[in-house]
Amino acid sequence: MKKTNLILASLLSCSLMLGGCAGKQTSSNSDTGKTTLTFFHRWPKEPEKSYFEEVVKEFEKQHPDIDIKTEAVLNDSYKDKIKVMTGTNTPPDVYFSWSDEFARQFVRGNKALDLTSYYKKDSAWSSQLVQSQIKPYTVNNKIYGVPVTMDGKMFFFNKDIFDKLGLKAPTNWSELLNVLSVLKKKHYTALEFGSQDTWTISHYVGTLNQRMVKPDVLSKDYNSKTGAFTDKGYVKALEKLEELVPYFNKNTNSIDHEYARQQFSNGKAAMFYAETAEIKLFGPTKFKIGMFNFPKVDDGKGNATNLTGSPEGFMISSKTKHPKEAMEFLEFLTSKQMGEKLVKEVGKYSAVNDTANSSNSTPEQLEAVDNILQAKEMAPWFDMAIDARIADAYLTGTQLMLNGDKTPKEVMKDVQKAAASVRAESKK
Amino acid sequence: MLKRNKLTPYLYLLPAFAFLLLVYIPIFQNIWDSLYEWSTFSPDKVFVGIDNYVHLFKDPVFYQALKNNILYAVISIIFQVGGGLIVAAVLEDKLIRKFSPFFRTVYFLPVVVSMTVIALLFTFFYNPEVGLLNQVLKMIGLDSLAKPWLGDSDTAIYAVIAVSQWQSIGYIAMLYIVAIQKISPELYEAAEIDGANKFKMFFHITVPQTKEMTFVAVILTLTGAFTVFNEPYILTGGGPGTSSEVLSTYLYKTAFSKDMMGYASSIATVILIITLLLSLVQMKAFKTGKEDA
Repeated sequence: MKKTNLILASLLSCSLMLGGCAGKQTSSNSDTGKTTLTFFHRWPKEPEKSYFEEVVKEFEKQHPDIDIKTEAVLNDSYKDKIKVMTGTNTPPDVYFSWSDEFARQFVRGNKALDLTSYYKKDSAWSSQLVQSQIKPYTVNNKIYGVPVTMDGKMFFFNKDIFDKLGLKAPTNWSELLNVLSVLKKKHYTALEFGSQDTWTISHYVGTLNQRMVKPDVLSKDYNSKTGAFTDKGYVKALEKLEELVPYFNKNTNSIDHEYARQQFSNGKAAMFYAETAEIKLFGPTKFKIGMFNFPKVDDGKGNATNLTGSPEGFMISSKTKHPKEAMEFLEFLTSKQMGEKLVKEVGKYSAVNDTANSSNSTPEQLEAVDNILQAKEMAPWFDMAIDARIADAYLTGTQLMLNGDKTPKEVMKDVQKAAASVRAESKK
Repeated sequence: MLKRNKLTPYLYLLPAFAFLLLVYIPIFQNIWDSLYEWSTFSPDKVFVGIDNYVHLFKDPVFYQALKNNILYAVISIIFQVGGGLIVAAVLEDKLIRKFSPFFRTVYFLPVVVSMTVIALLFTFFYNPEVGLLNQVLKMIGLDSLAKPWLGDSDTAIYAVIAVSQWQSIGYIAMLYIVAIQKISPELYEAAEIDGANKFKMFFHITVPQTKEMTFVAVILTLTGAFTVFNEPYILTGGGPGTSSEVLSTYLYKTAFSKDMMGYASSIATVILIITLLLSLVQMKAFKTGKEDA
């Protein structure tokens, strides 16, 4: 507790924090003859930190008249901080953004620069991007972001355990339950899950919603102006997740995703639902790793084969004084050379074509990239696809459901309530 | 000469006026902001009057958070103020006084360590599989007590509160040590001559004589309980679900994750009112207290 703080001091900081968001800040123009860009991303940790530092250094070398100031904040703090910073008079020129609804927020609020003309004019650059990864940054046929990495969510499994028990990668829900059941009978932790952070829950819920609900109903509900979430498929999706609970490790809500990943890569769990970008983080394992997409769900009315995953990338502030230079930097960042460097040094998959090859990727990474490229359709990360207030009700409710404190119907009732208030507000 | 003298006092008061402005302008701005519906993304603010407060008082998460803050307050009064007084009395006893500097340091160390560091350490401490707490419980055969402390909706808030007790008891104990050292030794000597034992001396001399410090400790603990943020934010993020949400974490989440700035301002105003009421109680209590010479 903040015992040594003055009573008013803590309230003062709350008030200043809130009041400051709407206030106007004086912009400081430092005219030294050089162009200064501010670059804001969410990777203060390695290996991304060094990568971006080197990209910036190389870009500055090639453009002596441009200075780039980099700032980085960790994941969840970034989600909060970027919203505040783009609300000020001096937002960062180039900033990281998740795609889909997260990006659309900035577009609706007129915080993001329209990049469509650059995509058309610089076609030599834009045509080398994986085209499916541009769509999540497109709003009303205009492009507002540049995808840097692509990703997919897949089940990873311990091939040694599967071979020993004569198991194969399941292709539908009943096969999945059968595999999990066999694993459990043989006293393995069938499926490792660290649900302490709610984004991990959103990956299960998002994929299950894709499987269970008709695409047109889904797109209507994911839109904050029309979302109602009354379709029965949503309750069924949560019931499917409930079916997995007996096969998860105990106490999922006490464990974070990183710990769960370690359990899998240490051979203590047979399966793990993770991002393809995490393959490098598994490190060298004593067993072979297999992977498969989330299975079809037999009684689902939705898309049976979607691969859940969205690109991560950057947007340019609509208030930037140097749009041309900012775009030049992003094009440099998404050049083939920097893309290959990204795959090699960071282990994530560049949104630039033909950057992953046998010299910079493991066979598992190449298999993952192939899955992403072959996917007929990609589905967004759920917590980024819907309004933050609805996501909060959905995911905190589901987290309690995993503890047995709530039923799927109760969760959806809260979601419907949250969606109703968001709908009402967006009509004003 | 007379005219200049009239102006001089006001010139000296100017810094105080500036300070008052810095304190009160943000507070009133916050209250004003709570009458609007606005976000960092929307271009304009929509006046909604007391709608934010109407919604707030119908919000089950608000009552969950308030309940958790009250739990924090009650438990902190018992363990920090009560426990701190006992620790201080023990350390100031004649038999133990020579070892007291060492123990004072030990108890006070958690106070000076960053709460962020402590919260991260306790995340490991509470891990259901490899955490120190559950390992010790299993070692001594109490497997049934080995719970997923931070992951169980019923235990999360208590696990968080326990961390705060551990960190802050040293501070309250130190305050009481200062108060106890001001008590005249003659009172204890007279009681000892009359045959009073340790417990009677504690309840009849130590407790009444430290009444003033008890007021201070209670107010400090109460206001801390209602403005607590770091421990729940880092240990549980308000989860599982919203089971360990407190008013400050709910304010933060509402403002910066859900982007409902007006609603968040109304929560901030409620926190302000609660802590102001506690301050008024403190001022009232001090008037009734008597400082012994």
